[in-house]
Amino acid sequence: MVDDLDAAVASPRASQVLGRVVATERKPNTPHEFHFWTALDSPVGIGTIVRVEGSEPVNGQLPEVYGIVVEGFSYTDLQTPLHAMLGHDGTPESASLGATRRAEIRLYTAAVLRHVPEEPLQPVPMGAVFLASDADVAVALRMDGYLKPGSNTGIPIGVYRAGGTDAAIYLDADFLIGPEAAHLNISGVSGLATKTSAIEWILSSIFTHFPAQKGSVAAVCFNVKGPDLCFLDQPGDIDDADRALYEKCGVPTTPFQNVQYFAPYKSDGFSLNTLRSNEALLDNVSSLTWGLREVLQYAEVLLNKDDVDAKADALIDFIRERVVDRDFNDPQLLGNKHYHVRSFADLETWFRDVLSAMEGKNNDGWRTHHVATIRKVRNRLSNISTRCAGLVTDDGAVSDLPFGSFQDRTVYVVDVASLEEDAQDLIFARVVTKLREHLEKRDLGVNHVVVFVDELNKYAPSDGQDTYVRKMLLDLAERGRYLGLVLFSAQQFRSQVHRRVVGNSGTALYGRMDADELATPGYAVLSPAVKTKLSTLEKGQLMVRHPHFTQPIFVRFPRPAIMRGRDGADRYPQAADVDLDAAVVRSLRTLDPSITLGWVQDAVGLREEEDIIRARNATVRERPADVRKFFLAQLRPVVAAQTVARPVSTPVRSAPADDPYGF
Amino acid sequence: MLAAPSPVADPRHATLDGLSRLLASALPECQRAAGEAPLELSAAPSRPARLISATIVEGHALRARRVFDPPTVGFAAFLDGTQKSIVERYLPNGAPIVIGTVAAAIRDRRNERMHTWIHAVERRLYLSRARVSEDVWQRLAGLGLEVCDTDDGDADAAEEHPLALRESAYHRVQKDREEVEQRLGLEWCRRENRPLLIDGGISNAEQLAHAPCAIGVIKSHRTLYASGEALTTVLGLDRAERSSVFLVTSPKRASVASWYLRLRDPRGHDPMWGLVRVEIAVPDGSTADVTGRADEVSRWILFEAAPVALPDGRWDKMVYGVRDCEEFLRAVM
Repeated sequence: MVDDLDAAVASPRASQVLGRVVATERKPNTPHEFHFWTALDSPVGIGTIVRVEGSEPVNGQLPEVYGIVVEGFSYTDLQTPLHAMLGHDGTPESASLGATRRAEIRLYTAAVLRHVPEEPLQPVPMGAVFLASDADVAVALRMDGYLKPGSNTGIPIGVYRAGGTDAAIYLDADFLIGPEAAHLNISGVSGLATKTSAIEWILSSIFTHFPAQKGSVAAVCFNVKGPDLCFLDQPGDIDDADRALYEKCGVPTTPFQNVQYFAPYKSDGFSLNTLRSNEALLDNVSSLTWGLREVLQYAEVLLNKDDVDAKADALIDFIRERVVDRDFNDPQLLGNKHYHVRSFADLETWFRDVLSAMEGKNNDGWRTHHVATIRKVRNRLSNISTRCAGLVTDDGAVSDLPFGSFQDRTVYVVDVASLEEDAQDLIFARVVTKLREHLEKRDLGVNHVVVFVDELNKYAPSDGQDTYVRKMLLDLAERGRYLGLVLFSAQQFRSQVHRRVVGNSGTALYGRMDADELATPGYAVLSPAVKTKLSTLEKGQLMVRHPHFTQPIFVRFPRPAIMRGRDGADRYPQAADVDLDAAVVRSLRTLDPSITLGWVQDAVGLREEEDIIRARNATVRERPADVRKFFLAQLRPVVAAQTVARPVSTPVRSAPADDPYGF
Repeated sequence: MLAAPSPVADPRHATLDGLSRLLASALPECQRAAGEAPLELSAAPSRPARLISATIVEGHALRARRVFDPPTVGFAAFLDGTQKSIVERYLPNGAPIVIGTVAAAIRDRRNERMHTWIHAVERRLYLSRARVSEDVWQRLAGLGLEVCDTDDGDADAAEEHPLALRESAYHRVQKDREEVEQRLGLEWCRRENRPLLIDGGISNAEQLAHAPCAIGVIKSHRTLYASGEALTTVLGLDRAERSSVFLVTSPKRASVASWYLRLRDPRGHDPMWGLVRVEIAVPDGSTADVTGRADEVSRWILFEAAPVALPDGRWDKMVYGVRDCEEFLRAVM
């Protein structure tokens, strides 16, 4: 790609005049807009980039102006439709018999992309109009500034095509991943597989072209619906046209090489709650489970303002600071009892004892906390493990993303598609917060992380109450770029997303748009023709806004070389729910393929379900060299059954023979 | 102090404003005629309305003939010319200096679209040499633009009244316009044999008048080649009816065959609504040949009735190809 600019510059400039600039008093040219006419058969369309060559030198230099067509007009010399009707005696059939077609014009309006020289900024001069060549496109979009060999920060986003020009369009990594600007937002109607495909393609492009001097980059993707992101490491079908686009952009036609999947368990606690549960794909799937400590830090996510008033908040703080993971005792209330709360089960025991003791002593309050507040907080916190079953463990077992050892060019997919809304919120909040904390400390393992969130209108809506997740996304959008934490987001309706989130996205992509959405004020800057084009975009086409581009540009991008979610779900069907033993076999086989169901059944014997799950989780978490030995070591020893000698019973004394009451 | 006018590389290609500045620099003593309308708008008709009897060459009497066969495409191209005469300055003796521009174009039809086959634009200064001093004449000649004597070198015929001099200039411009039209028409006839519709008569030029591919269509009827019953017949023509063919002869012009043709339904309009007169080279051969040729050409012209030439006020008689030429010339003049 280093040679992209060279190649572009070396490409021949279009020599055939495409049109001529025109201006009238009623429709004058300005520094930001001009008009030109073309032949009827010219290849110009909405979105075509053109170059105007002025004929009068300015400061000794002939001006060149680059523009993009944003509106088109066609008309004849007819003054009124009545004249056409009169000319054909009111019979439409005869209209096609005329030997002459009326004089007709194709008149286009173009928005200025760039003036060369930039100063003095003058209205666009009258001049010849040419189709933009590769080199022209690079200059027009100011890509020449960041595609220089040695300081190339270009990330291909797609290919601009018009009238035979095929030019790769590059985004500036400094403005996509930071620190100058950052974040990317994509809008488009559902069902065209554009948004997710575009994100997958852009991530591939970033992983291929992210400049070495900017360090390492990884991605964390939240799979929020269906199997969309469940097969990122599996190859998909692409055609020759796609291959040509890959080649033009210098991106390999391969799926992601390093992908790690994380999914919570289902409520049974041992089946992974993901569509990527097929045994053939489990080697890079890990469970995502959190204990009390992890959850309590983000209690605000799960407890809304109605739940948690100032008093409850104070109690939760107390529990977080003084109870959880600490040796706790209160001689006055609880006597000699000592508590070490590590899990929800421990917490429940603690709550029960505290409340019993208060009732026993007839106390309304304890350490400034009213009994009603304690009951309320107990009720809300106890509910969390139920509401987020599978994610939150009663026993405090933690299986998390590898914060601190993130790998370069690796995608971490967190599958939350099948989770309740609360659990999804909790995962977003905690994962993003942890990413931010580690990036602040520079110990995440990579320098930059792209976080992809789909259905952004759900998590950061423009209206409704302020939630923890929305505040977190706002914070990410406004401050993330300094840390290398970048938000890639997608939604169907941009207008329904908080304006500060989308407003902070340096790069905005648009797929096919709904007409109602286009009628909202956010799209007022677009011409009717551009809106029309947006509402009819094909699959694989995007409109791109980027800080370097003064006007939106239309590009084509290839289908990702990744197995599509639906295809993956067909090819690798979700594993059927199995019993605990089979689930343990499935998990342990990812570490040691020689493990059999028979071995597991022998190993677990008649142990309690909790014990088996804990042993399985510990084994999967530790990934020991000797899986069998480790797993067995985790199981609590079974006390061997002892034969107890039957006590010798004292024989009942026999009745005397002469017992008068004997039978 | 006014800035000196910037030199114009070729005054023939200068704009009217540019020429005005040149004249101001060459003749500072002359008064500018600001805001005068072009002479074409104020010139009186050169000829009075009149009736002329003509020799019928199709039958014995002029009668209405229906063009039975449906209209069909025949014309390959259209020729029209235009002129514009502006009084730029008056000499102290009242003699006008006129900037005259004449232009003509042939637009040929390819794939139903009109394209320029050839065009010419010429600009000259027109004034009466007898009314200007040699010094003034030389100064004007030195501007690089052709200067035309509106007296045609006949000083004795020179008018003195400024309005008469304006009319002389107008007629001289008109003559130049006819010449450039003829030149282009002849060029077509030399290189093509496909039919060319010429806006106006063809009898002015001997060669055009004999060219089989040149067909003149006249919209103005100040001279009507019929009188009495024949006139009634002409004015009573219905749509798609033509008159018998007659000969148009003149001592100064070539003879041509001609007939009247009604392009549009005249009901509710004036008697000359949609009425055109067609001129073609006199056909050789029998009366049947004349009839066949007149019917054929009439069908061609009737076919050109659509699309209508609106918003031109003469749209009832004007074919669209001629309007297209006019629009083109308006753009390039």
